[in-house]
Amino acid sequence: MTDYVDAGEAISFAQLSNVKGSAPATSAVDYERIRAAASEPENWLTYYGTYDGQRCSRLDQINKENVKRLVPAWVFQAGATGMQSGASTYSFEASPIVVDGIMYVSGPDGKAWAIDATTGEELWRYKHASPYDVSLCCGNVNRGLAVGHGKVYMYTLNAHLIALDATTGEKVWDTVNGDVRAGESGTVAPLLVKDMVICGSSGGEFGSRGHLDAFDAQTGERRWRRYMVPKPGEPGSETWPDDGEAWQRGGANCWVTPTYDPELELLYQGTGNPAPDFDGGVRPGDNLYTDSTVAVDVNTGEIRWHYQFTPHDLWDYDSTMENVLFDAPDGRKLLGHADKNGYFFVLDRTNGDLVRVFPFVDRITWGEIAPDGTVTPKVYPDEEGVPVHFWPGPAGGKEWTHMAFNPQTGLMYVPVQEVGATATRRRREFKESIPYWGAGVAVDIEDFYGFVAAIDPLTGEEKWRWRNEYPMCASTLTTAGGLVFQGTPTGEFVALDADTGEKLWSFQCGSGHHSSPSTFSVDGRQYVVVPTGWGGWIEGFLPGLLGAAAGDALFCFALPES
Amino acid sequence: MTTTESDREGQLAAAGLDGQNRTALGRLLNTGSIGHAEEDADGTMRATIRIPEDELRYDPSILILPHGGDLVLTLINDDKNTHCAVLPCNGDPKFIWLVNHAKGTASINLDGPGTYYYSSTSGNDEGRGLVGAIVITGEVPDHAKLDRPPQPRP
Ligand SMILES: [Cu+2]
Repeated sequence: MTDYVDAGEAISFAQLSNVKGSAPATSAVDYERIRAAASEPENWLTYYGTYDGQRCSRLDQINKENVKRLVPAWVFQAGATGMQSGASTYSFEASPIVVDGIMYVSGPDGKAWAIDATTGEELWRYKHASPYDVSLCCGNVNRGLAVGHGKVYMYTLNAHLIALDATTGEKVWDTVNGDVRAGESGTVAPLLVKDMVICGSSGGEFGSRGHLDAFDAQTGERRWRRYMVPKPGEPGSETWPDDGEAWQRGGANCWVTPTYDPELELLYQGTGNPAPDFDGGVRPGDNLYTDSTVAVDVNTGEIRWHYQFTPHDLWDYDSTMENVLFDAPDGRKLLGHADKNGYFFVLDRTNGDLVRVFPFVDRITWGEIAPDGTVTPKVYPDEEGVPVHFWPGPAGGKEWTHMAFNPQTGLMYVPVQEVGATATRRRREFKESIPYWGAGVAVDIEDFYGFVAAIDPLTGEEKWRWRNEYPMCASTLTTAGGLVFQGTPTGEFVALDADTGEKLWSFQCGSGHHSSPSTFSVDGRQYVVVPTGWGGWIEGFLPGLLGAAAGDALFCFALPES
Repeated sequence: MTTTESDREGQLAAAGLDGQNRTALGRLLNTGSIGHAEEDADGTMRATIRIPEDELRYDPSILILPHGGDLVLTLINDDKNTHCAVLPCNGDPKFIWLVNHAKGTASINLDGPGTYYYSSTSGNDEGRGLVGAIVITGEVPDHAKLDRPPQPRP
């Protein structure tokens, strides 16, 4: 018998590729720089571009006149290796961050990359090994990274907050922050504020107790945790049954990045629906702080104020969606929020007072919200086994993908979904890690459409709409070039005139859009980058396109150089 | 003949599902044996995984670890064909070629409860059955758990 051939030691998969393994050190990104991000539009320094969530860039090289000449500068194909967690729901949902010509972006299945933003060349990669059987309510997805202090921060599918070295992609620290056996997971893009990293929980459909956490950006040590469902005796606990277990499984997860006002030192966190979805019988009361915007003191984690959009939710109307900060001409500090329930809310962001509420979708049947904010439910699943149809469906009039606000036009550009659903209440017992749903839900697979709405948040007036055959399931981006960019579920990336809504350009990316484009410039050349890849929890928001082409690529566009 | 779930190996064999080109063309995934990693004093875990001749399976095909952490695998190919393994690992998957009658090692890091699969990405090895599982038992640390009383589990 011969000896075995020596197969040696297993190597990193990246060694069998052309990936360089390191990125040039970028100039230091810190809190002061992110706070002033609008003043360096060549970079996209934080999740929404700026803390206020406006998703508006001052770059204007690409404008209404020349946008028709926009062409791809490069394409980055993410690809897949081995067996993927949640392969059936694999999707790109990130917002790329760009610092001094280096792009940092995350993909499905625990992957993150540093990419040369002008060529698409892969500089380093990191892959977090995610359990194949981790509970993922809404897809094998990640919404992006935070960059600062020489590090790149990512929240992983198995709820580890990790910090990577920005030049090598090597892990610097790793903090476990969620219980995968309790159905907790991580999908949110972290937010860097001061010397902290802010990050919220995913896993609402598994009856977890939602929370927002702050960590020391250098060490990963937790500074504070704020549960969004109060314990008995804590403020808000009177809105839950006082003798029950409902609060322990109450939901209110924080799976979309908050916005932040540095002067007020408040984080504006949207919270998810109460658990169980649809079945309110086991949780009588308003169920704070579910379906709310919660203003959290960034230094202490204390709740300063809250506004609940759908008290005692019976329709899965999470309010995790972004809260866009803007100021009225009279200087009043405001916040805009387009809720899943089909109503657009303008709040005073200093105290949570309601300034204005108006519908932004065409069809609302679940209930009615009066101008003073009074909520009157009308149609909901309250009888066991009886189907009930309502608009908007559980995906909402707008899903988690973001609107944009352009101060030049004064308009909010809202990606709208017109799709309803039928829910049939089916009560179930709670078991940890099993979806805690109180109904069978079928989202309509016919009779839907979508549009981008340009809304004046000061008046509630819709100035224009760009209508599409399919609902809009991707974030808008607006620029000083007078443009609004929007990806469609069928793969087109379109540029609209920010004043009129006229379509000026489009490019077919080969797979639908369900993420957040960003824009930047390097050496005086402006680029627009968009992650594509149709996937995630499609059956929840647009099952009529469940069979559409999937993928996971980054497309980066620019004007021809000559 | 009646069988219970504990006779699964026997049932698979009787149905011709435990090897190649019997009832199926290849073999079902993860129908092989179950093994446990051994733990060093410093917490490093170790196990040996073989690919037996003409069986297209990793043996054990399911490896159970007591907790997340560092795992050193010895991989032996006793088959008369070339295979490989792409193993999950924090940072980057680890890759090893395993030509006929070869032996190598892999150091990997995995961090928590759950099931991690690996496979040979050569030819259609995965489709023919060469897929293994690493199952990490245990709980997340207390600081990562929700502040609430213990909850019922399935
Ligand atoms: Cu929900």
